[in-house]
Amino acid sequence: MNGSPLTLWEHAQSQGVSRRDFIRYCSWLAAAAGIEASSVGQVIHAMEKKPRLPVVWMHFQECTCCSESFIRSSHPVVSDIVLDKISLDYTETLMAASGFQAEKSLHDTMKKYKGEYLMCVEGSIPTGDDGVYCCIGGKSAIDIVREVAADAKAIIAWGNCATHGCVQAAKPNPTTATPVHKIISGKPIINVPGCPPIAEVMAGTIVHLLAFDRIPQLDGLGRPKAFYSRRIHDTCYRRPNYDAGLFVESFDDENARRGYCLYKMGCRGPVTYNACAIMKWNNGVSYPIQSGHGCIGCSEKDFWDNGPFYQHLASFPGFGIETTADDIGVAVGAATAVGIAAHAISTNIKKGKLINAEIASSEEKENTSKKGGA
Amino acid sequence: MENILIQRIYVWQLPVRLYHWVNAIAVVLLACTGYLIGHPFAIQSGTEAYDNYWFGTVRFIHFVSAFFFFFNFIGRIYWGFVGNKHSSWRNFIPTTKKQFKEMNEVLKVDILQAKIQPLESVGHNSLAGLTYFVSFLAFLFQCVTGFGMYAAMSTSLLPQMFSWIVPLMGGDFAVRQWHHIMMWFFIVFSMIHVYLVFYHDYVEGRGIISSMAGGWKFIEKDTRKK
Amino acid sequence: MSTRIVVDPITRIEGHLRIEAEIKDGKIVDAYSAGTMVRGIELILKGRDPRDAWAFTERVCGVCTTVHALASVRAVEDSLKIVVPPNAELIRNLMFAALYLQDHVVHFYHLHALDWVDVVSALKADPKKTSELAQSISNWPKSSPKYFADVQKRLTAFVESGQLGIFANGYWGHGAYKLPAEANLMGTAHYLEALEWQKEIVKIHTIFGGKNPHPNYLVGGVPCSVNIEEANSINAERLAYVGTLLDQAFEFVNQVYIPDLLAVASFYKDWGAIGGGLSNYLAYGDLPMNGYGDISKFKLPRGVILNRDLSKVHEVDGKNIDEIQEFVKHSWYEYAGGDEVAKHPWEGETKLKYTGPKPPYQHLNVEEKYSWLKTPRWKGHAMEVGPLSRMLVAYASGRQEVVEEINGVLKALDVPVAALFSTLGRTAARGVETKLVAVWAKEFYQQLLLNIKNGDTRMFVKDKWEPSSWPSEAKGVGLTEAPRGALAHWIVIKDQKIDNYQLVVPTTWNASPRDPSGQRSAFEAALIGTPIKNPDQPLEILRTIHSFDPCLACAVH
Ligand code: HEM
Ligand code: HEM
Ligand code: NFV
Ligand code: SF4
Ligand code: SF4
Ligand code: F3S
Ligand SMILES: [Mg+2]
Repeated sequence: MNGSPLTLWEHAQSQGVSRRDFIRYCSWLAAAAGIEASSVGQVIHAMEKKPRLPVVWMHFQECTCCSESFIRSSHPVVSDIVLDKISLDYTETLMAASGFQAEKSLHDTMKKYKGEYLMCVEGSIPTGDDGVYCCIGGKSAIDIVREVAADAKAIIAWGNCATHGCVQAAKPNPTTATPVHKIISGKPIINVPGCPPIAEVMAGTIVHLLAFDRIPQLDGLGRPKAFYSRRIHDTCYRRPNYDAGLFVESFDDENARRGYCLYKMGCRGPVTYNACAIMKWNNGVSYPIQSGHGCIGCSEKDFWDNGPFYQHLASFPGFGIETTADDIGVAVGAATAVGIAAHAISTNIKKGKLINAEIASSEEKENTSKKGGA
Repeated sequence: MENILIQRIYVWQLPVRLYHWVNAIAVVLLACTGYLIGHPFAIQSGTEAYDNYWFGTVRFIHFVSAFFFFFNFIGRIYWGFVGNKHSSWRNFIPTTKKQFKEMNEVLKVDILQAKIQPLESVGHNSLAGLTYFVSFLAFLFQCVTGFGMYAAMSTSLLPQMFSWIVPLMGGDFAVRQWHHIMMWFFIVFSMIHVYLVFYHDYVEGRGIISSMAGGWKFIEKDTRKK
Repeated sequence: MSTRIVVDPITRIEGHLRIEAEIKDGKIVDAYSAGTMVRGIELILKGRDPRDAWAFTERVCGVCTTVHALASVRAVEDSLKIVVPPNAELIRNLMFAALYLQDHVVHFYHLHALDWVDVVSALKADPKKTSELAQSISNWPKSSPKYFADVQKRLTAFVESGQLGIFANGYWGHGAYKLPAEANLMGTAHYLEALEWQKEIVKIHTIFGGKNPHPNYLVGGVPCSVNIEEANSINAERLAYVGTLLDQAFEFVNQVYIPDLLAVASFYKDWGAIGGGLSNYLAYGDLPMNGYGDISKFKLPRGVILNRDLSKVHEVDGKNIDEIQEFVKHSWYEYAGGDEVAKHPWEGETKLKYTGPKPPYQHLNVEEKYSWLKTPRWKGHAMEVGPLSRMLVAYASGRQEVVEEINGVLKALDVPVAALFSTLGRTAARGVETKLVAVWAKEFYQQLLLNIKNGDTRMFVKDKWEPSSWPSEAKGVGLTEAPRGALAHWIVIKDQKIDNYQLVVPTTWNASPRDPSGQRSAFEAALIGTPIKNPDQPLEILRTIHSFDPCLACAVH
């Protein structure tokens, strides 16, 4: 059991994969990666030699719902990922070893697979006050994340915490919670936002790395395009109701029971990029809107501060809980109308005489000129 | 005829007048449809989506008006460089001492309602010019945020050119929020603007309202001589 | 001379827990439990819309996802005097049950089992004998020799790959492992099976709440609507889906989890005398059958047991400011009134003030402040909370179903009642409870169908939805039972906004540092006396700590 790691080919063999199937898989992989037919041999060779991808999964300021979501994956199921596809060498949630032995697992991988391992991050990192708001093994999260990232091949930032800071970064962010991309630079970072991300999106991101041996195409915010290029709203099955102007006016009203659009219940679908409406949750069972609650925008930056959630727009800071820009707008508009009316009245009082005098004199002139002309 | 003291001056060329009214109509449409987008009214339940499309139509009007609004605005900017001196961009940004002095006078007329010498400007007075400049910035903001949002629902080039605004402002929600807040600027601007136009027409008697229709203003001769 | 060992991180739990323990003559003589991560969610809630609080607090934890949402909507409903419709209560109960079924099973197999099951030893097992063993304890259809042989083959390939992944550096071969190889193989096989099953039961959350983890809740009811004539609503298909998932859960719990639990426990009966710790048990109770207002109809009763005296159950009142209180004497917080005072959560304060060593550090200064957890007390007593407390309170309250199940387990294992007050007791109580919840869930389900059949489809009450209908000041408390124990949220609303929001969470009770009088909380107390074979491999510490199923994100929040 101390031998060198099983290669992918050996592993495939143990799974009952024939040599022919393995070669076919490699050719397909090569084609997908745009490699010329003449170099397929190299790909086969590379795959035969390749150990399972070592993965270290770090936990910082989190609620662990990203890990929980991950283990809900249905395709592939998580036991297949963990046993056959990757080598999950460190994750505080599932690993057998604790304390000193856990740290050893981490450091073994960092040493042995220097520059080769994938680092996953769940949770945000408090950067202020020497990092005292999150310590593991006596070390601050900020030190750990820098140390582990230094030799990682790539980084996946799981969930809204690692990509945007999530709930703990909501105002007033008492612990200086910070997302990974604001701390680490010079490494490819894949942002997989969502609170949590959909299980199959998480698995899909990892499978993409493995099957195509490269980072999925990312958008400007570092998110895999495959899952985050569309708004919930543009893929929502209630959209026809939106266009038709059929809205739920109150939870559990007649309209809610007919599945009308949740826009007026504060649905953030129109401002949220995620795959919920397409892939749905928990292997296609449902998603928030299908179960009657609006989207709260959980994959968006700072969505916590865009509340209250049951209003289409946020409240105006510094005013009552339900005061929106419109209340202020109406007030300013009304004040303007009053101002105009007052101005108009005072104009007539102050200038009425003058203008009347002018009018009289002009009439007089007109009369004289008429006379003169006659 | 020594008692004719008024001179007829051609101030607003056709492109300016055209711009003005297209703009005015577009802004009114945008504000009305925009308000509805933020606050769709409740219609009766018990009907099916395929029987209705009113909300889609509201948005459609918003977007069509937006395109008119945008290109019309671009046209006006162009005219600010090639049009007559009254439409020049120089009128919008006060730089000379004279302009600042005039702003002061307009404030006295408008706020203190003092009666002073007739204004020197024939086109916009310099305070009005400055307000229009501010409103141009608001137009720009509204176009950038509007097209930025629109980028997510369009593949055409123009909206895509503005997609950068979304991450810059922290996401679609923030963009929408600001776009919505800005609607109130337009409403308040329009109220004050229309009132002041009437007010100046009333106190100055230069035919300023009709000038946006026919282009002509009626200016006192002695003002012109100075 | 005693030696101080540090276990940090404690893994296979939720969150960041550090244990420092003094060991003398092969036994723990003193222990310190510290939570080392904080987010300040109570501070973040200030000034927000009370109707949004469930979403914020739900993110306290994704492992016990939903319980904070439940406590939160209840706190708001309590303060605004909202009574939710019966169907909403039943759906909340069903979501509660689904969480228990998932969380307890995951705890047993994925967080706790490796303390008792030696995965590496499973390689030596005889698949045929394993099959015989499995069939002797349950008629789960998957227990063929071929099935176990396949699992073993897969495991062998995995181990031979040299990349041991999550199993690397485990305490394999440790003298405290006692199961025969066949039991180890069976446990490992079911580890993998449970991993696949757990993702099914949570679909109940997805159906009613749109997703899991973190399904949606709603102040005043539940967000989903029922319309059995409508494809867009909870209809017959959705309800049948729930029914099927509950049936499958019932099967899994009774055919896999409970038999495995009893089989493993029978080899570790000595742990029925280790890890008892405190002798006081607190449960708020839950699963209302006649509305949240009628405690007497809770499936899980409310109450306190003091000094392991099962003949008396004391009453608990979350609103009495002299009952539940929190201290910060050994916690990195500051109270306006100083370190000696205790505060009821309605008057609670959260002001972060770190005074520990600057990281990186070797040891915490346990004489001073040493944790991000506050220290809750009930009438000054340190209390244990969790499945064991719930089962003991129900047992002592004479709840027939519970009494029968517990007596059944004691008999099956041939141990006395006193064995319940232990590490083993905690782990067994969790199983007993899961079994009961699997039965009750079907009852809630039937009741929901009946209500709908009778024409009651109400899910939400609207009258207090608009903040304009609220009083300018209101206070409330929402009590529930999280999988890990008694959970409550206290809210103070002023001018339609949250003025103060305090959470006192199960793991806060169990894992907190000592109080000003030096009384230990449950973790620290339970570790005392635990035998340690090898201080470099603190397997026994993990056993006792894991028996509580710690959740530190919850505990600190
Ligand atoms: C005077 C100019 C404009 C005003 C007053 C205005 C006003 C508004 C308002 C109030 C909303 C509703 C926001 C909300 O509550 O969700 C809105 C939405 C929108 N506006 Fe404008 N807008 C203006 C110009 C534009 C322009 C130039 C564009 C460019 C395309 C634009 C594109 C949009 C878009 C895309 C939306 C979101 C519509 C949807 O997703 O349904 N707007 N506008
Ligand atoms: C009944 C409605 C309106 C009338 C009678 C009116 C009239 C006028 C007049 C007379 C001027 C020239 C003022 C001057 O000499 O300084 C003017 C300029 C202007 N108005 Fe209006 N207006 C109306 C509505 C609007 C609306 C709704 C808007 C849009 C917000 C608007 C935007 C402007 C702008 C931007 C200018 C500067 C034009 C330029 O120099 O290109 N107007 N308006
Ligand atoms: N402690 C705790 Fe929780 C639970 N169960 C909740 O209130 O785990 Ni995350
Ligand atoms: S992103 Fe959301 S779900 Fe994931 S750890 Fe953070 S709070 Fe939890
Ligand atoms: S429910 Fe939400 S996402 Fe769906 S159409 Fe309506 S607003 Fe858009
Ligand atoms: S709240 Fe989150 S789960 Fe999807 S529908 Fe909205 S992004
Ligand atoms: Mg608290």
